[in-house]
Amino acid sequence: MSQPALLLLGFAGLVVVVAVLVWPRRGVVARVRRVVRQTDRVRTEDAIKYLYHASSDGDVVRPEALAGALGVRHGLARHLLEQLTSLGVARVDRAGYTLTEAGRRDALRLVRTHRLIERWLADQTGVAPTEWHEWAEDAEHELTVAETEDLAARLGQPRFDPHGDPIPTAAGELPADAPVLLGAVPVGEGGVIAHLEDEPAEAYAALGRDGLALGTRVVVRDRDATSVTVEVDGRSVMLSRLLEPAVSVTQTRVARTERAHTLAELQPGESGRVARISLSCAGAQRRRLLDLGVVPGTEITAVLRSAGGDPVAYTIRGALIALRRQQAEWIELTAAGARRTDEAVA
Amino acid sequence: MSPVTFSGRSLARDAELVQLGVRSDQFDYLVALAGNPNTGKSTVFNGFTGLRQHTGNWPGKTVTRAEGFFTVGGARFKIVDLPGTYSLHAASVDEEVARDMLLFGEPDVTIIVLDATRLERNLNLALQVLAITPRAVVCLNLMDEAKRHGIILDAAALSRELGVPVVATSARSGEGMDELRQAVFAMANGTTVTAPYRVAAYAPSIETLVAEVEAAVRTAMPDAPNHRWIALRLLQADARVEATVPPAVLAVASAARWRLPADFHDLLTAATFASAARIAKAAEAGTVRRVGAKLDVVLDKWLTSRVTGFPLMVLMLGVVFWLTIAGANVPSAMLATLLLDTIHPWLQSVAMGFGVPAFVRGLLLDGVYLGTAWVIAVMLPPMAIFFPLFTLLEDFGYLPRVAFNLDALFRRVGAHGKQALTMCMGFGCNAAGVVATRVIDSPRERLVAIITNNFSLCNGRWPTQILMASVFVGALVPTALAGFVSAAAVVSVTLIGIGAMFLASWILTRTVLRGEATSFSLELPPYRPPQLWRTLYTSLIDRTLIVLWRAIVFAAPAGAVIWLIANVSVGTSSIAEHLVRWLEPLGGILGMNGVILLAYVVAIPANEIVIPTVLMLTVLTAGVPELGAGAGVMFELEASGVGALLRANGWTTLTAVCLMLFSLLHNPCSTTIYTIWTETRSVRWTTIATLMPVAMGLVVCFLVAQVWRLLAGVPM
Repeated sequence: MSQPALLLLGFAGLVVVVAVLVWPRRGVVARVRRVVRQTDRVRTEDAIKYLYHASSDGDVVRPEALAGALGVRHGLARHLLEQLTSLGVARVDRAGYTLTEAGRRDALRLVRTHRLIERWLADQTGVAPTEWHEWAEDAEHELTVAETEDLAARLGQPRFDPHGDPIPTAAGELPADAPVLLGAVPVGEGGVIAHLEDEPAEAYAALGRDGLALGTRVVVRDRDATSVTVEVDGRSVMLSRLLEPAVSVTQTRVARTERAHTLAELQPGESGRVARISLSCAGAQRRRLLDLGVVPGTEITAVLRSAGGDPVAYTIRGALIALRRQQAEWIELTAAGARRTDEAVA
Repeated sequence: MSPVTFSGRSLARDAELVQLGVRSDQFDYLVALAGNPNTGKSTVFNGFTGLRQHTGNWPGKTVTRAEGFFTVGGARFKIVDLPGTYSLHAASVDEEVARDMLLFGEPDVTIIVLDATRLERNLNLALQVLAITPRAVVCLNLMDEAKRHGIILDAAALSRELGVPVVATSARSGEGMDELRQAVFAMANGTTVTAPYRVAAYAPSIETLVAEVEAAVRTAMPDAPNHRWIALRLLQADARVEATVPPAVLAVASAARWRLPADFHDLLTAATFASAARIAKAAEAGTVRRVGAKLDVVLDKWLTSRVTGFPLMVLMLGVVFWLTIAGANVPSAMLATLLLDTIHPWLQSVAMGFGVPAFVRGLLLDGVYLGTAWVIAVMLPPMAIFFPLFTLLEDFGYLPRVAFNLDALFRRVGAHGKQALTMCMGFGCNAAGVVATRVIDSPRERLVAIITNNFSLCNGRWPTQILMASVFVGALVPTALAGFVSAAAVVSVTLIGIGAMFLASWILTRTVLRGEATSFSLELPPYRPPQLWRTLYTSLIDRTLIVLWRAIVFAAPAGAVIWLIANVSVGTSSIAEHLVRWLEPLGGILGMNGVILLAYVVAIPANEIVIPTVLMLTVLTAGVPELGAGAGVMFELEASGVGALLRANGWTTLTAVCLMLFSLLHNPCSTTIYTIWTETRSVRWTTIATLMPVAMGLVVCFLVAQVWRLLAGVPM
């Protein structure tokens, strides 16, 4: 074999080795980091959070369930629960384990950190919504109480995370009334989505693909043993009933949704008035739109489509601003919808 | 001024100021300068401070901060330039810095700079500032621009609406700056009394909550001056205000905050904009229908249409590049003759007349002088042609349309359409391209544009490409076709560069830049007749000369280093020969040789000197002294002579191809690296921008060389 061929083979080998080492999530480096991070403290905190979420659904926890949730052996799960009990964080009876009042406070503090981090990711970074939860799961164990409070202050003491979940206050307070699960909404009624469960990630992604986003209006049209049909933005979407617990809604008295018109539907020469910006537009993206004067009540006229087709230029408060289709879809117009304006017709 | 002046100033504020990086003992009054980006804020700042300013960073932040001094009426003013922001919601670091300074630094006067051509949008920020401080003076800037756009504003009417002094200025020409200084002075010494406009009516969903909290505040603190304002601040969890109210009020506010609508900030902003729209209308003294308004529509129709948009764009940019390349040849040759053939021998003879030792003459004249002169001769003419032409297109308003048309392409790799412009700029000079990324106001997209700018083949690298293409690639085909083929080769390399830029952008936005904040917007300003002389002046001063100066600063020491390694011997041969021998094996694997690699190491400061260094090193290591006699560092040969020399030293078509690729894909020159650092202030991004292209170059050259040899069946 000639030398160039050998060198090329060597190079291919090097590429494979590097890929095996640093491949995101599955590479050796990522795996080692995960193991190193999985300290006793992290496991204990995860166990406390699991107990908290179970108890808010009214359940008690058996070691087997905890082992399944944390992905550890049964023996370790039992050991964790015994440890929590001896620390006075959990108590045990014949049904299983529940949190004590002290444990509940610890749990609320962890939940607070988690949701604040998600709020921060949504507001101040470009991390994709599907990745918020995973990032926060990692980072929540690393912030001290002081750092958490510092973050809260910098974010302006937010009360809700980007999924619509309330963030417990530093004193551990939560609001009284909670939204209703979609499964509890009778056929023919509907509401505004107040929360989308971000776990498991596949379900969250599937809901997003079907157009279910925070703040969108849904009406339950039909329900059978395995599926539920809902109307979202005027479209009918059939969901597995397994997804129902992942969706919570408020204002169940809304009887009928009207299809929301968005800015993206305007053809050059047409105008509309902004009703609101969809809540799926968060962080810097939302602030930019607000800064440009895209606020409820603003009159916007589509003027030009670019040669590439996608950004469209709109007249917004006297300036000609190009927005991408994705941004235009976030901007919902009032029921009046599109109108032709004569001045814009070239 | 006696310390009595400071009696109103609390110790607490002094402590705050120290935290904000301001020492309170050097001035009588503190002035903050606020405004949207691109409102001419820095021109106003320069107008106030002249040269008495310095820049640094905000304490603990990477945000640049400029401050300076000026005096009016015998009083010393310290002026701090706040970051340009659209609002004060403290959602970005810039906004946080600006808000904290206004809230806690309690400046004696805040100057709010407004862009008269975008009054309504600018008033959004002005109203937010007035909600914090009543001690404000509005500077209605860019009045000259507004007039060009046919907008006529009534500063007095605006002043009545806002309840604070308004001064109309055109800071670029200095118009109105004296009045502004007087207004600031009058505000500082308490002569001016203000009644700032406060946004009054919010959406019903907010008003109910405000009323609830306001009632609690009124009951608990009947004597407080502004119950409603306190209520609003409590709803926004303002820690300072929370500290001043009793627990009962806090409890009411905390309960109310659970019921804040999810779009609370939208509704606040909507109320501000409603006021802004009304005030802007009141300040309008009538618009003159602009002559070109109809023409704009027609122009846009042609320049952004699916059918004609792209051909017109290619045509216009093509003309700019053609003018640059064709037009630069003659002045480049003239400069080379002047600097290298006339002044250099003259300097030599003068130095010899003074009896300067040969070593010093060699180092300074053959090393430093020739290196620098070469960079100027190669770099100055194309930049002096390209930048003004490009700036003219910019001033005309066409460039944002290019970004508009190309955005669909750039969106797919996670970049901003304006990256097309910074890339074009990069064809002139990568350092200038990196500076130009300031037009991209989204953090992630701006970093992408900075890091990938180096993939635009800058004019310092054109000579390498053209020489290699004509000497080696053009020689492969009949003479009749040689010119066409070598031109095609250079164009191909340029296109490979554009492809690499898209690939690198795609990879970056999916890996290291994934978490950076992103937001898109692209404003298409009205077309306007370009201002020929001002454009020439500013593009020469701001772009050409600054870049040239930086290049010279870096090229001069490089000239010395090159001369030293070629002329200082260790053992029997020069340092350069040792290094070349040492680099030879690596060069061979990459399809090149030790001379090229060494040239790239020592020529980091400027791509222009790569070819002269390669030739000098080849002559040196080949031991043909008669060719290099007296030439020191830089020398030119006729193209045919170059071909013969290089082929005699083992260069093949593969060497030329690999050199062309490596010239495209290698680290940015040190001027650009330094510029990347000053623009990002981040070691991480500077390192990535430096190492990523060179890694790509090494891999590409390696693969090309090995595959080439495999196919050619030449084991080497």
